[in-house]
Parts: sequence; C-alpha cells; structure tokens
Amino acid sequence: MAIELHNVSKSFGDKVTALRDVSFEVPTGSVLALLGHNGAGKTTVVKILSTLLRPTSGRAIVAGYDVAKEPGKVRASIGLTGQDAALDGSLTGRENLVLFGRLRGMRKQQARERADELIDQFSMRHAADRRVMTYSGGMRRRIDIAAALVDKPRVLFLDEPTTGLDPRSRRDVWALVSSLAEQDITVLLTTQYLEEADVLSDSIVILDSGKVIASGTAEDLKRLVGHRYCDVSPTDPADMNRVYAAVADIEGVEVDYGANTVSVPAPDGVATLTEVLRRVESLGIELHDISLRKPSLDEVFLHLTPGAVKV
Amino acid sequence: MTALVALTERVVISTTRDRDILFAVLAPVVTYVGFTLVLQNVINTGDMSYAQYVLPAVVVQAMLLGAMTTAERAAKDQRAEFGVRLRTLPIPTVLPLAARMLYCLLRGVLALLAAIATAYVFGFRMQGGLGYGLAFVVVALTLTLALSLAADAVGSLGWQLDSASQLLLVPQLLLVLLSTGMAPAEAFPDWIEPFVRHQPVSVVTETLRGFAGGHADPGNVAATMAWCVGMLLVFGAIAVRLQRRTR
Repeated sequence: MAIELHNVSKSFGDKVTALRDVSFEVPTGSVLALLGHNGAGKTTVVKILSTLLRPTSGRAIVAGYDVAKEPGKVRASIGLTGQDAALDGSLTGRENLVLFGRLRGMRKQQARERADELIDQFSMRHAADRRVMTYSGGMRRRIDIAAALVDKPRVLFLDEPTTGLDPRSRRDVWALVSSLAEQDITVLLTTQYLEEADVLSDSIVILDSGKVIASGTAEDLKRLVGHRYCDVSPTDPADMNRVYAAVADIEGVEVDYGANTVSVPAPDGVATLTEVLRRVESLGIELHDISLRKPSLDEVFLHLTPGAVKV
Repeated sequence: MTALVALTERVVISTTRDRDILFAVLAPVVTYVGFTLVLQNVINTGDMSYAQYVLPAVVVQAMLLGAMTTAERAAKDQRAEFGVRLRTLPIPTVLPLAARMLYCLLRGVLALLAAIATAYVFGFRMQGGLGYGLAFVVVALTLTLALSLAADAVGSLGWQLDSASQLLLVPQLLLVLLSTGMAPAEAFPDWIEPFVRHQPVSVVTETLRGFAGGHADPGNVAATMAWCVGMLLVFGAIAVRLQRRTR
C-alpha cells in the first residue's frame, strides 16, 4: 500500500472537526480520487498526508512512513500540487523547475537536465522561459504538476487539479494524470467533479462532512444506488414538459433540459422502460431515444448525501 | 547547502526583476544627496561637515527600508502556495528564512557601498582606518540582520501587509528624523530632547559616526550592541519559531 489511513481524525480547537475516523488505503501505482463538496475535508486529508497538518488521532502512512513519526522521509517521497499553483510567479517556468530540483537535492546541472525533460514531456517549450505570472491558468497548472514531479515521487497529491480550468486544459491535465499511473506513481487526487473521478481513478472515496460515506470503484458505487435509470428523449424538445408530466408520479424523476432528457429511476429495469414507453406513446409524443443505463456518479452522490447541494 | 544557495538565488532573481535591488542602491544615494544638499547649511554640526555627520542616519534609514521589503516577502512566502510547497519538501523549515536573511545582508552590503561611495563624493571620509571601518560595517550589517528578522517575523505572522507596510513608513521615518542622526540633540525642542537623545536610532548613528571618525565611546557602543544583539536574539527566536511546519 502506498497510502494508508487508519481512523484519522482532525479537529481545530474544540469546535471544528474537519475529519472523523477516516480510513482508506491506496495500492501502489493506482489512482485514488477523493470526492466531495467544498468543506468535506478533502484538503485536510491531503495536508495531513503531506505533513502540513498533524492528525489529532489515528495513523496515516505514506510510502511506508508514518506521517507523524517520520515526516522527513514522507517529504522525500511525495510531490504535492495544491489548489493554486505553488510557483514563484517572478521566475520563469524553467527556473521554477530547476529550483525545485535543487531543493530536492539535485546538482544544478542535473536539475537543468531534468527541467528540460519535463518541459518537453509537458509540451511547454514555447513558454518555458517566460515568467510564470504571465501564464494562463492551464499552463500554470501544467508547470505546477511538473514541479511536483521533478524528483519522481513515489506518491503524488493533486488537490483539485482541474478546478478553475477551461474544458480543454482540463482534458490536458487528465491526459497527464493518466500517464502518471503508467510511470508507477501512486496518485491521490481530490475533486468535486464526479466525471473526473470516474475517468481518472481506479477507486473512489467519497467524503462528506469529514466522514467517509462510501468507497470503492466507480462501478461499485454505481451499484450502490441499486437500480438503473431509464432516459427518455423526445424528438421535439418542446415535448419535454409533456414527457415529464407523463412520468411525474414516479419518485426521483430528473429533468435535464440541456441534454433534452428525462431520467426515470428504473428499479424494475425493462418493465419500467416498457411502462414509460407505453405512457409516452399513449400521449402521441414522438421519441428520439429511450434507453436503460447505469446511474451516473452524480446520481450516486445525490443518493449518498441526501440534502447536499447538487454539483 | 545546495538548497540554501538555490533559495537565495531565487530571492536574488526575483528582487532583481521587481527592482528591489535597484531600489536598495538608489534609496541611500537619493536620501544622502537630498539631506546633504538641503540641510548642510541649515543644521549646525559644529566642526564636522554635514556630509560627514549625516551618513549614519542615511545608512540606518536604508536598513529600515530594506527590512520593510522583507516583511512583504516573508508574508508572501507564508501565504502563497509556493511557501506551502516549500514546507512539504525535505528541507529544514528555517531554510527559506535563512535565504531571505542572506538576501537582506547582500542588500545591506549594496546599500552600504552605495551610501559610502556617494558620501565620499561629498567629502565624507572614514577617518579611523581599517579597524574602525570594519567596525562600522559590522554594526551596520548586524543592525540590518536584526531589523530584517523583526520584519520577517511580522511578515510571517501572515497578516495582510499591503497597507500595513505603508503605515510602518511613518514610525520609521519619525524615528530617523527625530534622532541625533539628523541633527545634534540641542537642535530639537526641549520637550522632545530626552527622547531624541536615547532612542535607538540616535544611539546607533552616534556609534557609527564615532567609528567613521576613528573613535568609540564605550558606553554608547555598548548600548548599540545591546540594541542590535538584543533585537537579533529576540526577533530571531520569534522568526524561527514562526517557520514551524505543522499545527
């Protein structure tokens, strides 16, 4: 195991409890997504694992070292990128990479060569010699992740690596993270985006108010909801409200006007689909599509955190 | 060691780019020329020329200004994610502080050189030979380090300093202007004279002026060292303590 948490709790003073009894493990070379809303405790977990905070109780082990007892060895084994780029804006991208290489004990020449490698690997040649303060958010994030990889860490923490990025930069970061797993680096990433957790990770831990409320693979979590959904799309978007009215008596129906789809929980599978089809056809509504599908992670999340705001 | 050099280089590169180094050199030149030209025929410094008299005040002023830029730099390092990442690296937590202090010493040396070089043009002379010259430099740099540690500690508290550092300009300016570094104590109104005589800028500038002239008043030198070393120890301890990594 590259990361182990055993009943980790963290309180700030008497009143604020950020984490309660959090336990999970991340096998070496895999990607774990820590999923949760703002304030769920994701960043606190990352800070404890990267030795920035001490757990109030419980044990956390990173790369085989207890974060409370051997923080120095933990630090030598990890890379961290926080929510904002942890770079010196007055230095160029290249200078930042060389600096972090030297801070990890490389000689200047060695650090320069490594920076060169990373600049190529991250396709940053065009911008490497500009000051970081002139970078776009996506470029900054890329150099930031590169900086965490200078001295190939055994465990990499990415705290909300795509928050605030445009969709294209987000895809870039996703491609990057996927390539890390191939290099045998264990990755723990935090995200509020369910899609991101689904695409990038081997397993997911869902945090809510400082507690683990679910964990497993994306498939496991989808199975937790226990039933499939029936998606109905009318040919004419103007019929959306009529479709909704036809199935409104079924509990848990969701309408997504953007996707032109009404989602009906289908615990009875095909029987539910047949029933929905019968009702809609009896109203003479022409359908573009009707299908059964597994629940999305969004639905898993809503299912597990009743009362939570929809992401 | 590599890490300390790398971090110090980082500070030097970014202060070259934000022109802090340029400012470090220009500030004492401008204040010295300004004070000397404007005040040399106004303030009576007896046998001593004003060009000779005022240099220590200019040096202290430069060190105070330099320290204030350290406060901002420390605050930025403390708050920014960059500083957070430094705390997750396998390096001692005091290293970034040490790098900032090395830069402050470098900045202090440059300011000192600029001030003395300018003063020489106006007739200032180190009259006491090498030993007194060295003592002058050592005291000036000890003061720099002490003030910089104090400023670093304030910055490391993590307060938003953007406006506070401008507020600090006022007391530091008053301390310099209301000191015997600017004019002999007799030139000040009676009610403020005791303060002027005993406040630290007066004590330090008098020691420096003595060294420049080739003499030392033991009581005054002792008071200067007490101020400098005292601040160095107190603020040094606080600044180091504020670099703690974890809560």
